[in-house]
Amino acid sequence: MANNRADLFLEISALLTGFNKAELQGTGMVATYYNTVANIPQDPNYSDQELAANEANVGFFFEEVNSILKENKKDESKLQQAIAGRLMPLSAYNGLAQSIITLWYTGSWGANVVNAQAYIQGLMWDTAEAHPPGAKQPGFGSWSFPPL
Amino acid sequence: MKTDHYDVVIAGSGIAGSLIAKTLTRAGKKVLLLEAGLQAGVALDSDGAYNNYMSYLDRFYNAAAKVPNSPYPILKDAPTSNVLDVVKLTPGGPPPPGYLVQMGPLPFASDAVRGPGGTMLHWLGTTLRMLPNDFKMKTVYNQAVDWPITADDLRPYYEMAELEIGVSGEVSEQTYPDTPAPKAYFGKDYVFPMHKIPQSYLDTEIAKGVQNMTVKLNKRQYKINCISTPQGRNSTPNAKYPYRDVIWNKAEKKLKLTGLLGEKYDYNPVPSIWDAYTGQRCEGNASCVPICPVQAKYNPLKTLKRSNFDHLTIITQAVASTINIDEKTKEVTGIVYKRYNNPDSPEYTTGVAAGKIYVLAANAIENAKILLASGAANSSDQVGRNLMDHMVMLTWGLTKEKIYPYRGPGSTTNIATFRDGPFRSEHAAWISPFDNWGWSWPVFSPGSDVSDGLAMGLFGKQLRDYLNERLTRQFLLHFECEQSPDPDNRVTIDHQYLDPLGNYKPIIHYYATDYMLKSMEAAKTVSDQIFAANGIEDHTVYNPVTDAGYVTYKGQGYTYRGAGHIVGTHRMGFNKHDSVVNHEQRTWDHPNLFLAGCGNMPTLGTSNPSLTMTALTFKAAEAILKQLEK
Ligand SMILES: Cc1cc2nc3c(=O)[nH]c(=O)nc-3n(C[C@H](O)[C@H](O)[C@H](O)COP(=O)(O)OP(=O)(O)OC[C@H]3O[C@@H](n4cnc5c(N)ncnc54)[C@H](O)[C@@H]3O)c2cc1C
Ligand code: SF4
Repeated sequence: MANNRADLFLEISALLTGFNKAELQGTGMVATYYNTVANIPQDPNYSDQELAANEANVGFFFEEVNSILKENKKDESKLQQAIAGRLMPLSAYNGLAQSIITLWYTGSWGANVVNAQAYIQGLMWDTAEAHPPGAKQPGFGSWSFPPL
Repeated sequence: MKTDHYDVVIAGSGIAGSLIAKTLTRAGKKVLLLEAGLQAGVALDSDGAYNNYMSYLDRFYNAAAKVPNSPYPILKDAPTSNVLDVVKLTPGGPPPPGYLVQMGPLPFASDAVRGPGGTMLHWLGTTLRMLPNDFKMKTVYNQAVDWPITADDLRPYYEMAELEIGVSGEVSEQTYPDTPAPKAYFGKDYVFPMHKIPQSYLDTEIAKGVQNMTVKLNKRQYKINCISTPQGRNSTPNAKYPYRDVIWNKAEKKLKLTGLLGEKYDYNPVPSIWDAYTGQRCEGNASCVPICPVQAKYNPLKTLKRSNFDHLTIITQAVASTINIDEKTKEVTGIVYKRYNNPDSPEYTTGVAAGKIYVLAANAIENAKILLASGAANSSDQVGRNLMDHMVMLTWGLTKEKIYPYRGPGSTTNIATFRDGPFRSEHAAWISPFDNWGWSWPVFSPGSDVSDGLAMGLFGKQLRDYLNERLTRQFLLHFECEQSPDPDNRVTIDHQYLDPLGNYKPIIHYYATDYMLKSMEAAKTVSDQIFAANGIEDHTVYNPVTDAGYVTYKGQGYTYRGAGHIVGTHRMGFNKHDSVVNHEQRTWDHPNLFLAGCGNMPTLGTSNPSLTMTALTFKAAEAILKQLEK
């Protein structure tokens, strides 16, 4: 199941972020983010009860992702509708879909930056046709022209 | 424990302290530098400097809120102000937590770094000179006070400061209101060490519509003048730049700029402190505040590194607390400091640093605090008073065409039009930098735009497109209003408020006079005209509930933010009744005590203060050398 879930994670991440799988893989963050979402390794700050609840929530989320992908294989607009209706509401799976989008775009999970690479690889900087402040510097004078 | 006897003892290794240490040790004087921050931060060898600086960078990457202080260690024993502690004050309520004890009614909104190198580790790097009328506000506009020196007096020291910091800019483009043309104001052949940092694409696009447009203010018309901003970050050397060094001329008893006589000389940009090949050019990291990863931006460790270490002793983790004074001669006999081993533990040992001359260079608020704690230098009752900052009002909007912010140094162009003019008898002047970093300052973009998109139910390609359209059009304009000196805006101390080492925490009383509020009203009308004429959709919101610096004037709300320009707390003046120091930065009350830093500035002008303060610090270094060689 674990491998399968990791594949599902990449699949759904692409649909949620609007970046394709190759772009997401190019960040080098897929495995880290999958583990973040699945809470691996387990965060010692949670009680056993919280961990179990989270584990269940993540499990249901991936089952739902699995069915959404299967049911709407052929119809792109239905697929979009299903994601909008069944994953995107904050009430669905504790807002996990929105958290995944935030994770990819900003590198943050909850109130924390996952790690330095997560900050640097935040998709919002690509989206802005810029680069993360303090990293991937584009070189002297580059800012005086429109981005390539 | 008493130290050896030094020629000069300095507290603080920001630009003020480091510059004096460098200038004096190179003139052969024996100097002791006390620094409150960690030992690791003062490493100037290649490995030590690199490893420590990379730990700052890593702390920045991992910080949830990337505020100016985010890269630098937080020290319980040498605490500092932090913009995260700036919150809305409740009238009559207890001061909120934080190092500054904010008594209000408004919060003082600027921070400082306590660590080797000081606050310029996270300065932006703007290095404008003050304008001639800034030095004579009383005479010309019947406001504030005059300086005891003029722009002309300061000119040679400005040139030294521009060499020390390594300024990039184009003198010919520095056209200011009510100021002689650049050739006259800067000198016929003067150029900055390096050519200007290229202005951003955003600057060019915005200037197309804004340059020379007419705006109305108080029934007068003004033509907007957008110019390139001189800055302390490395660019292409200017082959015409003649100077190489500042040295003490024993015979003439003066500091002098020197060139290499008869030799062809190219200015060498000062690289990072860890190797000669990093930081020779600004690489566009767009993170100058809070940290330049390659040190293309000037920081005071570059100055400290050029000291003569045969004559320099540095004691770190040493927090200057008070100064000892001989009651008869009024001479200072020592600086008492508390030295901690572990910054999280309240244990310390006490030392007394002894020398012939003493310099407090611990930042405007700290200097005032140390003087107040010692009952020193205060016969004028001006110590701690006249605390000033630029009150920064921001306006922001979306442009029609994409302007591609989030790239390049924080600001490369400014509107100079309102830096001076007759309106100064009615309200404060301001400078308006264009901001290259989108709406990150007021609303924490781009993270907040992601949240906004999600709140609209967007995901996938729609979200990506929404963010692209939005993030590439964000324009932010500053109005940095010159706060005028007010004796009630001040730093005080009280036994109730102490830090873990038992040193005083600064108590701050702060408010905005009508002179300031009126300038925000005026600035907003200018902003409205600029936005309207250029089709910029205004998204500015001043929130009465959440904005710490929310103020109202004539029924209208405005929000100010801190500029980081902490100024005025031990001002220079004409005599011992109106000021704390004289024009040489020597205290009137104690013949061997000098103060260095922005606290000495009687008024602020519309320029960021550090270049002017550095010029004044060269003046102080010269006066100290003169006094030592008497
Ligand atoms: C976000 C931000 C951006 C800025 N951008 C600009 C800009 O673009 N242009 C500009 O001109 N200015 C700018 N400034 C202002 C500039 O940083 C300050 O004017 C400058 O750093 C003041 O230098 P200083 O040496 O007087 O004090 P600091 O740089 O604050 O250095 C003080 C030093 O003293 C040490 N110290 C403090 N207390 C003690 C003690 N009790 N004992 C021993 N040591 C002590 C500290 O650790 C530190 O090393 C900015 C400031 C901020 C906050
Ligand atoms: S833009 Fe980047 S390289 Fe240039 S000074 Fe700022 S942080 Fe340094």
